[in-house]
Amino acid sequence: MTRLLDVTDLRVAYGAVVAVDNVSLTIDEGEIVGLIGPNGAGKSSFIDALTGAIPNRGGSVVFEGGSLDRLASHSIARRGLMRTFQSVELFDDLTVRENLQVAAEQPTLLSMLADLVRPSKPKGVDDIAWASTLCDLDDALDRFPSELSHGQRKLAGVARALAKRPRLVLMDEPAAGLDTDESIAFGQRLRSLPGHGVSVLLVDHDMELVLGVCDRIYVIDFGSVIASGTPDEIRKNDRVIEAYLGGHDVKA
Amino acid sequence: MSAFLLFVLLGLGAGSVYALLGLGLVLKYRSTGVIDFAHGAIAMFSAYVFVNLRSTGVLELPWPVIPHEIPLTAGGQAMDLAPALVITLVYGTVLGLLLFLGVYRPLLQASPLTKVCASVGVMLFLEATAVLNFGTTSLASSPILPSEPIRLAGIAFPSDRIYLAGIVIVVAAVLLVVYRWTKFGLATRASAENETGAALIGISPVSVAGRNWVIASFLAAGSGILITPISSLDPTSYTLFVVPALGAALIGRFQSFGWTAVAGLGLGIVQSELIKLQTIFTWLPQQGLSDGVPFVIILITMTLSARRLGARGNAGTWRNPRLGRPSRPLLTSIITFVIGLIILVLLQGSLRAAFMSSIITMCICLSLVLLSGFIGQVSLAQMSFVGMGAFILSHLAGDLGIPFPFSLILSALLVVPIGILIGLPALRVRGVSLAVVTLATAAAMDALVFSNVGFTGGLGGRKVAPPSLFGLNLGISDGKIYPTITFGVLLLVIVVFVGYCVARLRTSATGRMMIAVRSNERAAAYMGIRVAPLKLYGFALSAFIAGIGGGLLAYQQGTVSSSSFAVFTSLTVLAITYVAGIGRIAGAVIAGLMFSSDGLFVSFLDDVIHVGQYQMIVAGIALAITAIGNPNGVASEMAGEKGIALRIVKLRDRVFPTSKPPALSPQPVIAVAKVRK
Repeated sequence: MTRLLDVTDLRVAYGAVVAVDNVSLTIDEGEIVGLIGPNGAGKSSFIDALTGAIPNRGGSVVFEGGSLDRLASHSIARRGLMRTFQSVELFDDLTVRENLQVAAEQPTLLSMLADLVRPSKPKGVDDIAWASTLCDLDDALDRFPSELSHGQRKLAGVARALAKRPRLVLMDEPAAGLDTDESIAFGQRLRSLPGHGVSVLLVDHDMELVLGVCDRIYVIDFGSVIASGTPDEIRKNDRVIEAYLGGHDVKA
Repeated sequence: MSAFLLFVLLGLGAGSVYALLGLGLVLKYRSTGVIDFAHGAIAMFSAYVFVNLRSTGVLELPWPVIPHEIPLTAGGQAMDLAPALVITLVYGTVLGLLLFLGVYRPLLQASPLTKVCASVGVMLFLEATAVLNFGTTSLASSPILPSEPIRLAGIAFPSDRIYLAGIVIVVAAVLLVVYRWTKFGLATRASAENETGAALIGISPVSVAGRNWVIASFLAAGSGILITPISSLDPTSYTLFVVPALGAALIGRFQSFGWTAVAGLGLGIVQSELIKLQTIFTWLPQQGLSDGVPFVIILITMTLSARRLGARGNAGTWRNPRLGRPSRPLLTSIITFVIGLIILVLLQGSLRAAFMSSIITMCICLSLVLLSGFIGQVSLAQMSFVGMGAFILSHLAGDLGIPFPFSLILSALLVVPIGILIGLPALRVRGVSLAVVTLATAAAMDALVFSNVGFTGGLGGRKVAPPSLFGLNLGISDGKIYPTITFGVLLLVIVVFVGYCVARLRTSATGRMMIAVRSNERAAAYMGIRVAPLKLYGFALSAFIAGIGGGLLAYQQGTVSSSSFAVFTSLTVLAITYVAGIGRIAGAVIAGLMFSSDGLFVSFLDDVIHVGQYQMIVAGIALAITAIGNPNGVASEMAGEKGIALRIVKLRDRVFPTSKPPALSPQPVIAVAKVRK
């Protein structure tokens, strides 16, 4: 397996509050890695820091052999590291198809000038069809985000990230707000992604989903990694049970 | 040295007014999120009321035509200072409260752009009413504050400046204390911070806002009265006081009373010192320096520091104006061209000229559809681009003798760097702050560039050589007929082509990126969009289109003069485009035909029912009402389910049927929709 992402000693502080405290994490090609932790454990800060939203973070991030330190969000996306949002954040004024197109297309300055007179042929048509089919959005493509159900909006957010054909997607609570059936269906879709060359870092509260689909899991609390390992190891880890599961065993 | 001190002290006069108006703007913004461009107009109107009471004892009501004069003294005697003061202060306060209840209260949850347009409507209305009721000749007024000279450090200066500055300091201090330590101040700060939260703990944001407006209007009326002895009174220049006041409020981040007061006084002093400097250094530009430099300072500080405006948590979740979705732009363009041609041939004389004005306005509005509609960047400097285009063309075609169409294209291209320059602050500031920064730019351009006699030909303006191609005269006049059909065709060809390009852009990859940035800048960056170059690209394109509009305007007028591009013309253009539908090509068309003040519809009304002198008043009221009633614009309404636009589109598609390719629907990779546990 080749190493895809290598995070060393990532640190994020807001003033005196340390949100992410020297977290190290690796993801190999074809892996689905989980990141779990209680509310306020620093999960979203971790994703923000990886995708260029927090400029003065500590530590180093290496993606596909290249450093992501000090890169702007758009450059990180162009290197094939995409993310989804806890609050979906679709472009409300565009249809689902156009949302996907925005991610899939990469206009140059020349094509931007040409767009005034003779629009270039839509690019990335295959990528968009692939992403929308994978997320079961084919019937919703020409609708606006406001016309979709909450679950569909979540999926549209995932599809938008996938439409760029990324190497790695960071998913911030993609299953939050989905019902159990939807969550299971979503897990199945997720499992098929490595077969398409996409690795995943899954951040979620839904223990069943995370334990069910992930190859490896990191557990963080108060900004630090308190445990890591396979789902089986995590289930049996005393510190995890204490910090996150509140002493209860979880049925898979 | 003492001469410089004298000018510092003299500058306190205007500075005090900027400060007092600025404080009122802060109050209004903090309590309602409205940047009230009509704030200066309220001061102006109150000043007129005061001057009239003091000279003839007549109370002037804020409307034209229907009786608006109430004599309060017997036989037209002048009223004493004290009652005149009290009546005017009450008058200004009530006027502000009525405007709040009638216009701004219904807009509390509206988008910032809607609020801007409504306040522009109010401003136009008050200014036009003042012009009708009081005329445009400047009035002087007797002093209110004691103004016998004071001697200090060897110089003599009028003492009222010291009193004025004292009033500003006292007002700012009182506001500071009230908003920091009283329950009312706490409620205001709470509802500015989080409207929903404040409502939940029993604070009524509407009543808080209303009370703040009362205070702000009181201050506006007060500053209107105080300035009359210092600056001669006329409708336009008093209304324009709002621009430096906005600058002061901006430096105070629309939040800090102290900084706003200091900035207002500072702006006044800088202006005054610049006048002194002009007399010493004769190589300095002799026009506009004192008016322009403060705005340059504001511009630079805002761009470099990129400070956000004070927090305003709004309970409403407003949406951007709806966008159009042009289908079959080529066909629509051809049909539009043919219809335009028919109108051109059918109309004659002044109405044909008015139709030409409409077409040119459409071009200018298209530049805003692209910039504010698609990318969501508010620009209040659009007419500055237009003016630059017009004057550059007059130089290129005149002195340099560059032939049409190269002169037109080159002049528009030369406007592009200016557009990019004005777009630079947009990389740091957003929304309402951007609106104010671009307004400061427009004011700076007005004072520094458009007052330059060498560039703009001064009051007489500059002549523009008519366009000709292969020896064929395309100008608006051929010696016998005015205006010629050939010139109309030229306009139609160019503007329809611009409209076609903007429509094409809307459905292209670039257009989608622009709309993505408008919807959610943060998410757009995460999707790999370079937001900053895209915004600058939008400013560049918009400036180019506006520059073309300027060139066409120059050809139409024959002689361009800088008065056509004064600061508030940009506000009007944004407002009419917004009201007509800023997210649509059709919006630009409607703005040009229906709302443009020298356009076809208004000229037609003028011909039939002679609305001429009331035109601005009608425009102002229409603007405010449309902003309140129809935040998506007229074109959006027409494009609705039963709208006329949909019928036109259906008619078009019936006459020119299209064969649609079958929709692609690949089978899902995963057929699992729902799995039972």
